[in-house]
Amino acid sequence: MSSDGDNDDFLYEDEYDDGFDQDDIDSTSEPDVYDAMSPAIEEAPQKKPYDVSWKVKTLQEIIDMQNKEIMKVQSLLEVPASSAAILLRHYVWNSEKLQEQFWNDPAQALEEAGLSPPSSPTTHTSTQPTGLFECPICCMEYDYSSTYSMGCEHRFCKDCWMEYLTGKIKGEGESAKIQCMESGCKRIVREEVIDDLVTHDISKRYHNLLNAAFVADSPTLRWCPHPNCEYIIECSQAPTRMLNQLVPTVECKCGHDLCFGCGYSASHRPVLCRIVKLWEKKCADDSETANWLQANTKECSKCQSTIEKNGGCNHMTCKKCKWEFCWVCMGPWSEHGTSWYQCNRYDEKSGIDARDTQAKSRASLERYLHYFNRWANHEHSAKLDAEFYQKTEKKMEQMQNSGNLSWIEVQFAKQAVDAVIKARITLKWSYCMAFYLKRNNMTELFEDNQRDLERAVENLGYLLEQNISDTDSIAKLRQDITNQAAYVQKRHDILMDDTLRGYLERRWEFTVDT
Amino acid sequence: MSDARLRRVQKEIKDCAKDKTSNISIDMIDESPFHLIGAFPGPPDTPYEGGYYEIDIVIPDAYPFQPVKMKFITKVYHPNVSSASGAICLDILKDAWSPVLTLKSTLISLQSLLCEPVPNDPQDAEVAKHYLADRNSFNATAKHWAQAYAQAPAHKKKNEPGKVATDAELAGLSEENVVGFTDMGFSRDQVISILKKLNYRGNNVNPQSYNAVLEELLK
Repeated sequence: MSSDGDNDDFLYEDEYDDGFDQDDIDSTSEPDVYDAMSPAIEEAPQKKPYDVSWKVKTLQEIIDMQNKEIMKVQSLLEVPASSAAILLRHYVWNSEKLQEQFWNDPAQALEEAGLSPPSSPTTHTSTQPTGLFECPICCMEYDYSSTYSMGCEHRFCKDCWMEYLTGKIKGEGESAKIQCMESGCKRIVREEVIDDLVTHDISKRYHNLLNAAFVADSPTLRWCPHPNCEYIIECSQAPTRMLNQLVPTVECKCGHDLCFGCGYSASHRPVLCRIVKLWEKKCADDSETANWLQANTKECSKCQSTIEKNGGCNHMTCKKCKWEFCWVCMGPWSEHGTSWYQCNRYDEKSGIDARDTQAKSRASLERYLHYFNRWANHEHSAKLDAEFYQKTEKKMEQMQNSGNLSWIEVQFAKQAVDAVIKARITLKWSYCMAFYLKRNNMTELFEDNQRDLERAVENLGYLLEQNISDTDSIAKLRQDITNQAAYVQKRHDILMDDTLRGYLERRWEFTVDT
Repeated sequence: MSDARLRRVQKEIKDCAKDKTSNISIDMIDESPFHLIGAFPGPPDTPYEGGYYEIDIVIPDAYPFQPVKMKFITKVYHPNVSSASGAICLDILKDAWSPVLTLKSTLISLQSLLCEPVPNDPQDAEVAKHYLADRNSFNATAKHWAQAYAQAPAHKKKNEPGKVATDAELAGLSEENVVGFTDMGFSRDQVISILKKLNYRGNNVNPQSYNAVLEELLK
């Protein structure tokens, strides 16, 4: 997209010039709310080589972008605005390609885009003896004023036009490619014609679809995926080919993060879009459930009900058929005599084979479950932390009212909870990453960073759960929490920075293709 | 708009009845004008010649702005028609539909589809393979189907009049090839279904595919 002409205003914030200079990736820094908390990390925000810069656009700006481009083409090719729009949409807003094709063979370019050159003025050849026109679709006779035909001379009544266009727009969600009703006629219906022939609501929907198509067709634009958010993100630094070394997390004006690369509705840093997709598919895959069943359950040796053992001794009694058996060797309990807590029949050959197959599937499953449980656990904890904050917020207000702490002084709890949540989201994704990493030294370093962050987060979580209503100990607790939060932030930045830099340095090796 | 739909369908049925030259008929099944049966003769100089093909027609609510739904009632051996369900693969029944098209013009399109199959966009992959592998054998099978299912008169020269097509002929296989395997003790139905699946005809009859058939039979 070259809608803007100059790249200088692509940046979300003013650029800091601190010497980082990358060819492909230019960046601004994410706003860092933690800087105010601790003097220890009070540095100027840095541009990171793996960050991208972006701009949040409103729908009106997107419309203006299109109009600007249309006006440009209109004056260059000397065609009406609606023709320029149809041409641009046909060439997917690539005005260079459009100009090239157009100057090469104007008639062909127009025809391909569905704009055959205007033919001679309408001749009313199909006039009925009554002087009326019979619509070939609804077979009714109309006065000419109630009919319409485009330059292709295919005339139909306005009722049929409305029905047809409404069906295309509302039913099929079509916009830029609505053609004449005549079979085989490729002429595209112009915007102003549609606005004229359909109701106001449908016309509005038509323009929304046009805008949606413009955004979808542009590799540098993406809708914010959050519900009810109408902003559009513009980012020219994260083309698809860069997504094997870049995780382009951006923040919309609605306050939510999203991934510009894949449209994921939250940050999935530090994991690459492609790995996230694989992971989500794996987690959603029912075969994992089947695997789990196979590895964690056994069948009652009598009635074949599936049983999961969730504790207790090996003396099982099937709830369904009341059959008593040994969980270890699966044999009838009656043969076990009184050795209730051990099975001395385990080594008998009959049981060994069955257990071997179970062990194999269990090994791969256990590896997956190890990572999945931690992934899911951090997600769950982040939610609980957010709820926990809602509760402490009230207490903070009380502290503010009763104690002699100012508003700014009780903000530490909120900032600490924010740090925990942010770190947990990163930790969550770090387990997805680790699942796909090859076992090597680099991976061990990654897991060291992961472990350090995890420890810091758990410590901070513990501190946050302390009773903060006690005014005497509040000063000490405040200090501890503030320090630990700063430490969490530091460990978080180290893990994130190292991992994201690792992509650029091609340090990570995965068990799957990226 | 349902008035317009009814008016238009009634007019179409009337116009079609008036037109004696096209040989296309559209008839109501019961009192509803929205579920019809269309019919046309197989086009001349094709294996379908002499056959009479019936089409199930369902008029959708948004007709004529939505394409009419059509499928063959008469069984037909053709790459773009499912030999099991009669479902049709034709662009004007999908995205190339235009409200200007009528039931009659669509039926005429089906008729010309019988003249010119599009094997690269098949509805029935097995039939399309047969069509591409051995045109003569395909034509013979299509003719057998026309005779067996579409009341086409049996051909004057090659087959004696009234002769009923064999199961091998209906599957487009040579009797010789089928017997070659049934003589080994495999059941006839099994042999025919596997030979059909592996397209064992024309150029595909060779030692390699022979082994493939045996492997499949022994599974």
